[in-house]
Amino acid sequence: MRGRFLQTPEAMAGTAILVLLATMALAAPLIFPGDPLRIAGPALVPPFQDWTLPLGTDRLGRDVLAELFHGARTSLVVGLAAAAASLAVGAVIGTLAGFAGGLADEALMRLTDAFQTVPGFLLALAFVSIVGPSLSVVVMAIALSAWTGPARIARAEVLSIRERDFVAGARVVGMHPLEIAFREVLPNALPPVLALSSIIVAQAILIEAALSFLGLGDPNRVTWGGMVAEGRTVLRTAPFLSIVPGIALVVTVLGVYLAGEGAVESAAVKKGLS
Amino acid sequence: MAEHLLTVDGLAKRFRRGDSTVAAAEAISFHIDAAETLALAGPSGSGKSTVARLLLRLIEPDAGSVTFEGENWLALEGAPLRTHRAKMQMVFQDPLAAFNPRATVARVLDDPLRIHRIAPRAERPRRIAGLLERVGLSTDLAGRAVHEVSGGQRQRVAIARAIATKPSLIVLDEAVSALDVSVRGKILELLADLQRTDGIAYLFISHDLGLVRVFAHRVAILDGGRLAEQGDARAVIDAPQSAVGKALVAATPKLHGFTGQDAS
Ligand SMILES: Nc1ncnc2c1ncn2[C@@H]1O[C@H](COP(=O)(O)OP(=O)(O)OP(=O)(O)O)[C@@H](O)[C@H]1O
Ligand SMILES: [Mg+2]
Repeated sequence: MRGRFLQTPEAMAGTAILVLLATMALAAPLIFPGDPLRIAGPALVPPFQDWTLPLGTDRLGRDVLAELFHGARTSLVVGLAAAAASLAVGAVIGTLAGFAGGLADEALMRLTDAFQTVPGFLLALAFVSIVGPSLSVVVMAIALSAWTGPARIARAEVLSIRERDFVAGARVVGMHPLEIAFREVLPNALPPVLALSSIIVAQAILIEAALSFLGLGDPNRVTWGGMVAEGRTVLRTAPFLSIVPGIALVVTVLGVYLAGEGAVESAAVKKGLS
Repeated sequence: MAEHLLTVDGLAKRFRRGDSTVAAAEAISFHIDAAETLALAGPSGSGKSTVARLLLRLIEPDAGSVTFEGENWLALEGAPLRTHRAKMQMVFQDPLAAFNPRATVARVLDDPLRIHRIAPRAERPRRIAGLLERVGLSTDLAGRAVHEVSGGQRQRVAIARAIATKPSLIVLDEAVSALDVSVRGKILELLADLQRTDGIAYLFISHDLGLVRVFAHRVAILDGGRLAEQGDARAVIDAPQSAVGKALVAATPKLHGFTGQDAS
């Protein structure tokens, strides 16, 4: 399984990027202990000049490499937490709608439509401006729009699964409808829903970066989006301050996407073989 | 008149198909006594499964009444219905489709024991082993995934699940049709044995009149959602009165028996 997953070069590259990113995130407090937002040297040291500050410093003299490492933490935490929340909420709502049918289905799907028609970023922006920026609020803000995709897919899957004999069997045994929905049907509806996770993680990382860029990220954390925004004020004299976190974002999103595609593909191959 | 275990009167169900409707069941009336086997035979699409699904309240009828164990079975809803389901169980044709693809044998048998509070948690593994033994399976099978055991074993697990709640009626919808002949004979022997020891009644759905003749006490023949004739299994099959009965008998190449056992 693992061998097949790593067979395509794209999946391999994606996985390598994710492993690197996770290592950065985990190692950040070890390699760069203390507050990454503290002053580490003179301001605006260019990269590759001073080997104690390999990527130089920003406008306030903060260590860019340290910020990059700690920023990886934020991006990963937000990406994973937002995806987990969206998938969980989406799967539950989709399962309820598909399994209950009738009015409940109608109501839940109209709700899904309503959330889907508002652009996700605007929804997140509005939510954070009202509730105030903190990491958990940012995660919730992103999940607020991202659950609709998983909900639709879960519902479609549940609609076909609920007609199968084993669901009738569970009813005959006298199982409670909620237990049938969540213990018998939902786990079997999950695979195609989980296939969405990479896209949601990538989207979440981008939305978080955009919020931080607009100054709506958690002010107590380093974020890549915040770094890009910081660098913007000195874009002409020190473009690397925006370029470095920008590249980190692009590479991360690409890595998540490639690894996700690889996982979906190998799952499809596995299904085809069995 | 003595009370029957199950009395079905005027049961009807129409399905929508495009703009029109088809009568999958119409004016169906029959009864089953305790420890009796009534076969429901008929060509494909004649409404056999529809009658089974109506009885098990998997679909709701348009008309008719069902009295089961002296109760108005169709009036039961929600929690009381779930409780009463213990007494009427079903075994499906395709034993693979009838189980959650993720379930283990132990979980399949644990469900009825847990839901109907038949045994406390600590005692359930022992009960599960007892059920497996009762249907002639090794207790080692408990930990296996349902899709990892053979078709014949899986159908035995289905029977074990059905008898876990000590039902008085089991609906067998083509329960042996998918099995090869030798396995089929063994399963039918098991069912006959359960009927003898526990007094379970069966609604035995099959299109195989050879099987029906040796396994069932009485037979009802369906055609296009209506009952064409019913009566003593041998009498009807040896001398069918209805056109569909004659056609079914003619289509049965050789009225074969399953090894040894007879329902009588
Ligand atoms: N859910 C449904 N929706 C629409 N029509 C249905 C539905 N279920 C059954 N029917 C129709 O009702 C009729 C009876 O079907 P049923 O499955 O009861 O037949 P059967 O006797 O069990 O056939 P078989 O021997 O092939 O299993 C058929 O015409 C079938 O197409
Ligand atoms: Mg059928």
